[in-house]
Amino acid sequence: MGELSAALQAKRIAVCVGPGGVGKTTLAAALGLGRALAGGKVLVCTIDPARRLANALGLEALGNVESRVPEARLAEAGLHARGQLFAMMLDVKRTWDDLVARHAPDPARRERIYRNRLYQQLSSALAGSQEYMAMEKLYELATERDYDLIVLDTPPTAHALDFLDAPDRILDFLGNDTARTLLAPALSAGRVGLKLFQLGGSYVAKTMARFTGAEVLEDLAEFMATFQGMYGGFKDRAAAVRALLAEPQVGFVLTSSASPRAVDETLFFHERLRAERMPVAGVVANRVTRELWGPGPLPDAVELEAALAAQRVPDGTLASRLARTLAEHELLARADAREVARLFAESSGARVELPRLDTDVHDLAHLARLAAAL
Amino acid sequence: MPGLALLDRRLLVVTGKGGVGKSTIATALALLAARRGRRVLVCEVNAQERVAPLLGAPPAGFETRQALPNLFTANVTPAEAMREYGLMTLRFKTLYDAVFENRVVRYFLRAVPSLSELVMLGKVLHEVRTEEHGRPRWDLVVLDAPATGHAVQLLRVPGALLETVPPGPLRRDAEWMHALLVDPRKTSLQIVTLPEEMPVNEAIELEAAVRTVLGVARGALFVNAMPEARFTPGETSVLSDLVAAAPPLGPAAAAARLQALRAEQAGRYLARARAAIDLPAVLVPLLARERWDLGAVEAVAAALEPALAGASPPPAGRR
Repeated sequence: MGELSAALQAKRIAVCVGPGGVGKTTLAAALGLGRALAGGKVLVCTIDPARRLANALGLEALGNVESRVPEARLAEAGLHARGQLFAMMLDVKRTWDDLVARHAPDPARRERIYRNRLYQQLSSALAGSQEYMAMEKLYELATERDYDLIVLDTPPTAHALDFLDAPDRILDFLGNDTARTLLAPALSAGRVGLKLFQLGGSYVAKTMARFTGAEVLEDLAEFMATFQGMYGGFKDRAAAVRALLAEPQVGFVLTSSASPRAVDETLFFHERLRAERMPVAGVVANRVTRELWGPGPLPDAVELEAALAAQRVPDGTLASRLARTLAEHELLARADAREVARLFAESSGARVELPRLDTDVHDLAHLARLAAAL
Repeated sequence: MPGLALLDRRLLVVTGKGGVGKSTIATALALLAARRGRRVLVCEVNAQERVAPLLGAPPAGFETRQALPNLFTANVTPAEAMREYGLMTLRFKTLYDAVFENRVVRYFLRAVPSLSELVMLGKVLHEVRTEEHGRPRWDLVVLDAPATGHAVQLLRVPGALLETVPPGPLRRDAEWMHALLVDPRKTSLQIVTLPEEMPVNEAIELEAAVRTVLGVARGALFVNAMPEARFTPGETSVLSDLVAAAPPLGPAAAAARLQALRAEQAGRYLARARAAIDLPAVLVPLLARERWDLGAVEAVAAALEPALAGASPPPAGRR
């Protein structure tokens, strides 16, 4: 068993985080498959998998529903799972709607919220909404299901911090005291909409309407009115999610590539997790170009020409192209080695380096091989 | 391929999946324009600044700052864009301070969906149309936009406001912003991708969104880090058999085999992107560089130059 799999052995929840484009989703799937093969009921919850990966996991048509990867599919890939593998794709809008339905006191209120334009924006487009819902879904799955391991893939964030900050930001918005203070007279009178501008002739409200436009404030007033009485439920739930993330049953898996930018972002995130006392299970450096030549000067075209001749390979310009290719490879490998060393020196937990593979990983057999390396 | 007259536009928007090299392409385009004697501003949006460091200059922050001759950078943040926009709308600093510097009000404004996008985009577009001494302050503004989803969210704000907001100051702003964005003589959007599965998928989705949702004119598809086809299939198969040979041939053959596999795979994804996206594809070769610095940007710019030659005047000479 690989170092990372060992570090996750005692965990019930693995949260895969990292910058965009480093192969997070694939690693999340591989971690889940690995554990299912070893025995265990596992769920992989992904956000936006590549189509072929989604197909491999049987996620073609499903949204927000857990579905089992059929044993026949695993058998086709030459795999035998002692446990069970489930997969699902997170549907952000549906998760929001479910959350509202859970907290709404009655169906009429629920429908009013669904229809509100501000809510529609919030549930689909507002930055951070995805991150919040990923956490929300995780909490539901962790508390209401009996998986041995849940692997959560996370959305690519514009800033690594969004992931931890977004829930607070959105909750603060939902329970925004300013908004309520500003809108309170209208709310208590049961009057919203056009009466907004009579907020006691509020100077602040008037200036803001000039700035945002009246309709925005009207929508907001209606939104706040319909949400009244639901803040408590939302807030309690978010606090519980936050507490869950700091429990020892959770392990964060940081995924990076060897690019300096990805390493910077990953280390930044690592620091933040540590500050928040959230458990880091390990760090993965993915798609690393490995050195093929030791220390010492690289071979030139003349040496390679001689070597080719000894193997009776016709040359032409092949030797010089080979020399150039090896030199470029080594340059990239050295740069990668330097960045991986920096990543590992400043991080904690299991450390796994994965080489850049010959092909994309998009079927169960490849995933299983990747899992073995983790 | 006929020259893409991209550098003649007033605003170039550069976007694509996270990690595909948007900032590098945006910076290289800006560098080319600056070298042709244009006054260029590169704007990042609420980002960890990459453009100025790539040019070897200190981070600019919100204020525009010169990095190289003719080449300026800025990082547009929501709080500062809100303040600038507020001052412009309300005209009186005391009024702004009384209302907007109130901690609670500021928080509230930040939370209203789309408002921060509106003021950030507004700042960038304002830079495009501002004139000084009877001529534009910038000949070209390059917007190093956020990754796909966030970029669409940012760019669709004016259009969305036009659909929902009644006449008033906000609508007037949305009107000129929208008009500037959808004017094909002024604005052109570039999609950056890598010849890999997910980036190509995202580029295809993005291109459709630009066409159907945003209505912004599309310029080119930049395929970054494209490995060259360096070995023939025959050579590749011979080299695959030599991977286990003694050094120096074994390691060289191994490197060549990896290069050939990568090139072959990239070729397939390039073909897929070309089949699905009806835009000129500009290939940026995979550059073996140990560090991404000004030298790397210059190399990318040199690779872009042939595709951009044509309608634009010749280089004004290196400074």
